[in-house]
Amino acid sequence: MPRLGMVIDLKRCIGCNACTLACKQEMGTPPGVHFARVITREVGTYPQTRRTFLPVLCNHCDNAPCEKACPSGATYIRPDGIVMVDRDKCIGCRACAVACPYMNRHYIEPDALKSGYDGDGPNPYEAFKFADFLEGTVTKCTLCAHRVDRGLEPACVVTCPTEARIFGDLEEKGGKLQKLISERKSWTLLPECNTKPSVYYLDS
Amino acid sequence: MVIGYLIVVVGKNSAHLLYLGRPLRFWRAAMRPDRSWIARGIWATGIFAAAGFVYLMPHLFGGAWRLLDSAQTFSAWIAGLAALFIMFYDGLLMSASPAIAFWHTPMLPLLVLMYATLGGTTLSLALREIAGLHDQVVPALLHAERLLLLGNLVFLGAYLWRMSRWTPAARETVRLLLAGPYARAFVGIVVSVGLVATFLLSLAAAGAATRALLLVIATCELAGDFTLLLLLLKSGLFAPQTAFPY
Repeated sequence: MPRLGMVIDLKRCIGCNACTLACKQEMGTPPGVHFARVITREVGTYPQTRRTFLPVLCNHCDNAPCEKACPSGATYIRPDGIVMVDRDKCIGCRACAVACPYMNRHYIEPDALKSGYDGDGPNPYEAFKFADFLEGTVTKCTLCAHRVDRGLEPACVVTCPTEARIFGDLEEKGGKLQKLISERKSWTLLPECNTKPSVYYLDS
Repeated sequence: MVIGYLIVVVGKNSAHLLYLGRPLRFWRAAMRPDRSWIARGIWATGIFAAAGFVYLMPHLFGGAWRLLDSAQTFSAWIAGLAALFIMFYDGLLMSASPAIAFWHTPMLPLLVLMYATLGGTTLSLALREIAGLHDQVVPALLHAERLLLLGNLVFLGAYLWRMSRWTPAARETVRLLLAGPYARAFVGIVVSVGLVATFLLSLAAAGAATRALLLVIATCELAGDFTLLLLLLKSGLFAPQTAFPY
């Protein structure tokens, strides 16, 4: 069974946030909820300063603390490694949101789906997309499971103009992800948490 | 006993219910006791509610409701074990997650257990005083209270000392508690009022335990107790994802 994951090349990432927008458009998340985002940092001391960009998303961990914390079984890991939330089982206790070291779980507040980005109420596109969410439950990145199941790549991967995001099977021997991870200096976020994430970063 | 039972069964569960985003699905919280500490806590609360009710039936409805001695004893033991679990499972829940380093230590469940024992002792003292029960249990409870206060003070100090040498996020939490925005509440209420002042007052009560003094002791300790729990929840910090130098 494949273990789907992603490699993000920080040498290529230019911090354009196209991934953030693509995800927003694909998933139609409510205001304030961003499954994909880019953390921007300024490092160094003047005049040797530079800006660094760290695209973050749900890491779809193999040892997901959110799955362990969920009392209702709403959070589950698919055989291909994608961590999902069954909104019909979620009780909104937010234990998963506390358990996630990467802060990639999002609670849909009451009334969050009643106003769109304009504040006047959801526009037709938002109304269509908001139907996928349920107030009082937790939601998260699904690695575009609905696209992956049709043989497509996640929206953030397809949109990236510099091809900094590479999607594939982490278990594939000699596959593109394994090659990149072995050939370049790579790391995962917060390895001390022992979550075994499926998102790797290639050093800039 | 009845008040303690109601605090757990009605008070605790009501608070949990109010917090849920989908309260009508509350029963789903018990679905995964194999994985989730929340689910285990729900089961323990349920077992405590059932066994405790069986045990309290004669007290509530009269002697005619008393079961066989063996059944009463069995229900008391089951309720007691469930209550023990309830005392500190939230500490286990918090410490299970690696996300917040300040919580991710075996010391936290012990701290929660010690404070739960202290809180229970304090509440027993206060309720006995309110009910006018002046018996030989009160001096014993006062003595236990003093020992627990000292023990909690030492353990709390050890916990903060350990966390001050842990990860940057844990060290920042200690700074928030001792010198940051939570310092006034932590040092003022948790330590000064909840532990130190309560200990000194309990020493005074050893000589002459008046009703007012016992109730003041209870109020001070419980204020410190609840403030600590609140601060533990508020001060826990996630480690920054950008901590890795890249």
